[in-house]
Amino acid sequence: MTLRRTACAALLAGATLLVTGAAHSTEIFDEDEVALILSHGPWPVKTDPDPSNRMSGKPAAIAYGKILFESNDLSIDRQRSCATCHQEALGFGDGIARGFGIARVDRNPPPLYNMRLNRWFGWDGKSDNLWAQSIAPILDARELGMTPEILKARLVETPDLADGYRDVFGAPLATHDAETAMVNVAKALAAFQETIVSGKSSFDRFRDALAAEDKAGIDAYPDPAKRGLKLFVGKGRCDLCHFGANFTNGEFHDIGMPHFPAPGRVDKGRYGGIQHLRKSRFNLLGPFNDDGLRATAGFTRHVRLTPKNWGEFRVPSLRNAALTAPYMHDGSKDTLADVVNHYSEIPEERLHQDGEKLLRPLHLSDAEKADLVAFLRTL
Amino acid sequence: MRHFLPGTLLCASLIAAGPALADHCPSDTLSKLPEQLKDGGTAIAYQTNPAKIEVGKPFSIEVVACVDGDKHMAPSRIRVDAGMPMHGHGMNYTPSERKISPGHSSFDGMVFHMPGHWQITFDVYEGDTRQRLTRKVSLKR
Repeated sequence: MTLRRTACAALLAGATLLVTGAAHSTEIFDEDEVALILSHGPWPVKTDPDPSNRMSGKPAAIAYGKILFESNDLSIDRQRSCATCHQEALGFGDGIARGFGIARVDRNPPPLYNMRLNRWFGWDGKSDNLWAQSIAPILDARELGMTPEILKARLVETPDLADGYRDVFGAPLATHDAETAMVNVAKALAAFQETIVSGKSSFDRFRDALAAEDKAGIDAYPDPAKRGLKLFVGKGRCDLCHFGANFTNGEFHDIGMPHFPAPGRVDKGRYGGIQHLRKSRFNLLGPFNDDGLRATAGFTRHVRLTPKNWGEFRVPSLRNAALTAPYMHDGSKDTLADVVNHYSEIPEERLHQDGEKLLRPLHLSDAEKADLVAFLRTL
Repeated sequence: MRHFLPGTLLCASLIAAGPALADHCPSDTLSKLPEQLKDGGTAIAYQTNPAKIEVGKPFSIEVVACVDGDKHMAPSRIRVDAGMPMHGHGMNYTPSERKISPGHSSFDGMVFHMPGHWQITFDVYEGDTRQRLTRKVSLKR
């Protein structure tokens, strides 16, 4: 009812929703489009601490997690840290196609914004919680290259890290086995990463103005972005997957991207992710979940493994998209324009035969592509 | 007598193997659940919890199924799943069954991960025979 009233009021406002470019002077958001636009907010989304991580939301753990995140002592050669591949100035990515720690990995380091809203972590969703996902690069021989034992020894011999551990976890490192110490480190890292929340965007201000029937706020949103938004919720149907306030449904789709990182080597995508998840001691059904009720483990308990999962990758949030180039799981799209081109001319022959029948080439005009990019840049 | 005892055991085991054929479904519950489906002698009633299904949010379905028309017998098995026929995919999650009584179960862990047109399928089994009933559900963005 509220949406209907808002939409009607917006329509009655006449010029408020008119896109004033000469070629689009009659273009307007209809009632359904207004409702769809409003569904992408409000922002930010209020979140609760992660019940699987007793350190979630705790200031001391957050501060310790930030120190760990930036510490080269977490890498086997003391030459790199989490922040090497997740640089704030680059949207918490590294600006290159595939991450490079000790060696090159197969995927693009995903940006770390708004992680508390995720259900699955990593491009393949191999982790069902942020602390498990934080363990992965620590142990990966191509990234930080540690073992639990070396990590514990490194913390013990680094007084600041050892003291911080004792203060946060209430016990000296020596009283914890190496695996427990590693999980605790990961939980502090997760507590810090949860605080990386993107601010209100130009789109959010427009969306709020639309909800409040604020003509000045509506008018302030650029016309190309308005036209791109209309495509996003209309002809493009982008919002079927890039859904809600975080512009993602948090799930996995095959969008026709190649999944051979090197000749003879396949990236299984979601299929491998589910296999990994089920074997992991660090999933929400395992012994390190701090929530005895396993209240958030339902998705893990019920997740389905099917052949269609081959070649599927997680739908990324589009928030701060302008800051997080390059794009796609393999970083193979340098710009937002490249991404829009992909959907415009999507290679149907590359789509999995059991995959998403919704995806078809949009055949956008150059002007439409530019508008869609203009909209994405406001997120 | 020596041959009578194994025969008795055989009869008893046959009865034990087929309790579903002898069980009645909870027909009183059938009429209380808000959503009703019927096809021939098979009747289904269900409700979702929460009542309103939201994109990406887990929900459960409580189902009562009766077969054999007015005899109100419980089926041997109920299976619930869902998909988006126009998209050509199902759910990313497999619901788990919690049996409440013969012909009465709750299926937990359902998730509709996209807006659009979903179809819930109820497969009702009598032995090897399956009858499928469906209900379309539309989720707005």
